Amino acid sequence: MEAIFNDLQIMLPAVMFNIYFAAASIPLGFVMAVFLALGKASSNPVITRLSRGYIYAFRGSPLFIQFFMFYSLALSLNLTVWKPLGISGFVLHPLFIGPLVLVLNTAAYTAEIFYGALRAVPRGAVEAARAFGMSRSQQFRRVVWPNLIRLAWPAYTNEVVFLFHATAIVYFALPVVGAQADLMMTAKTLFERDYNAFLHFSVAALYFLAVSLVVFFLFGLVYQHLMRHLPAQPRLRYVPSWWR
Amino acid sequence: MFEDLAFWVSYITNGKHLTWYASFQFTIYAALLGGALAVIFGLTGATLKNSRFAVLRLIGTIYSSIVRGVPDVLFFLFFPLAFEQAVEWFVATQVCTPESIAAQTSPWPPCREANWFLGTTEYLLLASVSLGLVYGAFATNVIHGAMRAVPAGQLEAARAYGMSASQVLWRVHIRQMWVYALPGLSNVWMLIVKATSLLSLLQIADIVLWADRLGAPNFLPTVGLVHDDWRWRYYLVLFLFYILVTWLSERAFEAIMRRAGRGILSEVPA
Amino acid sequence: MKKTMLAAAAVLALGTPAFAQETVRIATEGAYAPWNFLNDAGEPAGYEIALGNAICETAGLTCEWIINDWDSIIPNLLAGNYDLIMAGMSITDERLETIDFSDNYFPPDPSKYVAAAGATLDFANLSGARVGVQGGTIQAAYAEENLGGANTVVTFATADQAMADLAAGNLDTILADGAYLDPVVTASNGAIEFVGEDVMIGDGVGAGIRKEDAELKAKVNEALATLKADGTVDKLIAEWFDGMGPFFAE
Repeated sequence: MEAIFNDLQIMLPAVMFNIYFAAASIPLGFVMAVFLALGKASSNPVITRLSRGYIYAFRGSPLFIQFFMFYSLALSLNLTVWKPLGISGFVLHPLFIGPLVLVLNTAAYTAEIFYGALRAVPRGAVEAARAFGMSRSQQFRRVVWPNLIRLAWPAYTNEVVFLFHATAIVYFALPVVGAQADLMMTAKTLFERDYNAFLHFSVAALYFLAVSLVVFFLFGLVYQHLMRHLPAQPRLRYVPSWWR
Repeated sequence: MFEDLAFWVSYITNGKHLTWYASFQFTIYAALLGGALAVIFGLTGATLKNSRFAVLRLIGTIYSSIVRGVPDVLFFLFFPLAFEQAVEWFVATQVCTPESIAAQTSPWPPCREANWFLGTTEYLLLASVSLGLVYGAFATNVIHGAMRAVPAGQLEAARAYGMSASQVLWRVHIRQMWVYALPGLSNVWMLIVKATSLLSLLQIADIVLWADRLGAPNFLPTVGLVHDDWRWRYYLVLFLFYILVTWLSERAFEAIMRRAGRGILSEVPA
Repeated sequence: MKKTMLAAAAVLALGTPAFAQETVRIATEGAYAPWNFLNDAGEPAGYEIALGNAICETAGLTCEWIINDWDSIIPNLLAGNYDLIMAGMSITDERLETIDFSDNYFPPDPSKYVAAAGATLDFANLSGARVGVQGGTIQAAYAEENLGGANTVVTFATADQAMADLAAGNLDTILADGAYLDPVVTASNGAIEFVGEDVMIGDGVGAGIRKEDAELKAKVNEALATLKADGTVDKLIAEWFDGMGPFFAE
């Protein structure tokens, strides 16, 4: 029992790295996903193709490979691009390039969710808005977007939890600066000391589960707020599904 | 120009590159075996969740929700280690003597006779089982949903024909279920394919390890061709390889879904 | 679940001969030329592979090489996935707490700093520098203790990855084994140069062995003594390290 508390304490600073990686990439990934989803639904064939290709490539390849590829790519541009700009140490820092790759990755998954929701927005509602004489941007802001986000929210919650889980592989792929270590690194180091796989990995798993539950709770509150117009409010349950 | 081409052709077909190409087999084996196991664990999990006994239902639910609430990489590292320790513990209870336990200085295993060597084959099997267990939890959810999607009338009709409960389950329920499960299972398969990139974490000399070794800068002529950091090119190849596998899998699943959906539904729910 | 696991364990225990030790498995990293690397044929090669094979031949052992990442090379030795480590591993007091070593087959070797040509680093009071090391090495421990506060220590999985970052200008300096850096500096034609003072850490390089494997350790040491006496070790060092030595001649 004492060993568990000991581990819980050791891993408390470590979980902050995972939370940081997720928190740093979620907002940007969200914004980028909106543009990608609109791009995929665009009437311009070039924009459609580009968005479609991007989403396909990033959903169709492992994040692990994306980390390796983007780090070594950024490294090979260091002398010609980052150094002259004076941002070398910043760009190649795992606390920057880690979230960057996560943004590129989650944007693709989120965009696919938003695109699906976009196509599910009731046609009648959009037509009614048009009949009201709304401009295109008004239609989007007042009709399409509110419908889209309500439809997409449960799947988006799921994606955020997956993104949090994906932060577990950041330090397997990137160099480590100083003594910074996330949950997985800490659990692995502790395991290599005393071979107690059940203890250390379970405690790390406990942290991942706990944060996942918090995410479900917070996103559930947002969902209730989004659905406040309905008499019986649907609730978001803890169900990580196969979306992704 | 021609000499250049000949040089590059011989470079990318040297033994080191050939070993890299050969290592793709590990990825493919792990994906296929992991996928097959995921379906088996998924069927088991879904059956547990549908069980008449509350205890079994609870086990099914706990399995599918705990495993899905934890990152795949954590379970992927944990399971082989835990399984190895469980085996060694079991063997230790059979073969260890007090003397051999006293002679052991490292914290694990209890005595050296109980030690289990893990080579590439063992790790590959364990990795596939972990993939199966992790994604079996997702498949449980998919199959459980699909079994409930089978129209009740079909099951009633089967019962009315005088089929026994197991006949209804195997001849009608599970067969009809595939149509509804395939879109979800296709998604789970894509997850498994992408998770095979983690094999190198279990000390399997897989495509990722070789890409790193091939691409790393080399300064010494005795080692091979002297070159700078070429890693991103090799990772780009892997990036494209996975996209290709995704594309091929999509086409294959489309074909399977068309076949499975023949004469049953005009449209398969997405 | 537990029952099936036990059943599976029983099957494995009966069906797998892997519990009995037949061949000696030697782990190496394969990314630390000229000590150990993967040659153009995709096989392990280098000083330690040549020496390891010679040891096995002399001691009458059947040997098999295994590639294992550096950061888990000691844990996997202890876990019993192989019996020996020959991966340019220095003998240190810290490592001797968990594993045992054979006699050294490479003398104590100074660790050195390298930097891109023309770098101005004030080693008397180094601060604000980005120092690259390979994780889990004696240099990593040294850098963390002596340079950690004022500088940024960046840890890499392999030494080659650290070299890539240095060559790309993402590091100011690297601290690594002299015998690893010497050929790199020579081959770079002046692009990479030694800087600062050498640091003596470690008691030479030996083969890592589990503490309870005293029998294997005795065999390896015996073979090593024979090979040192007949000049094979010195010959191999001279061959792989550009004429270095002799160190072990009587």
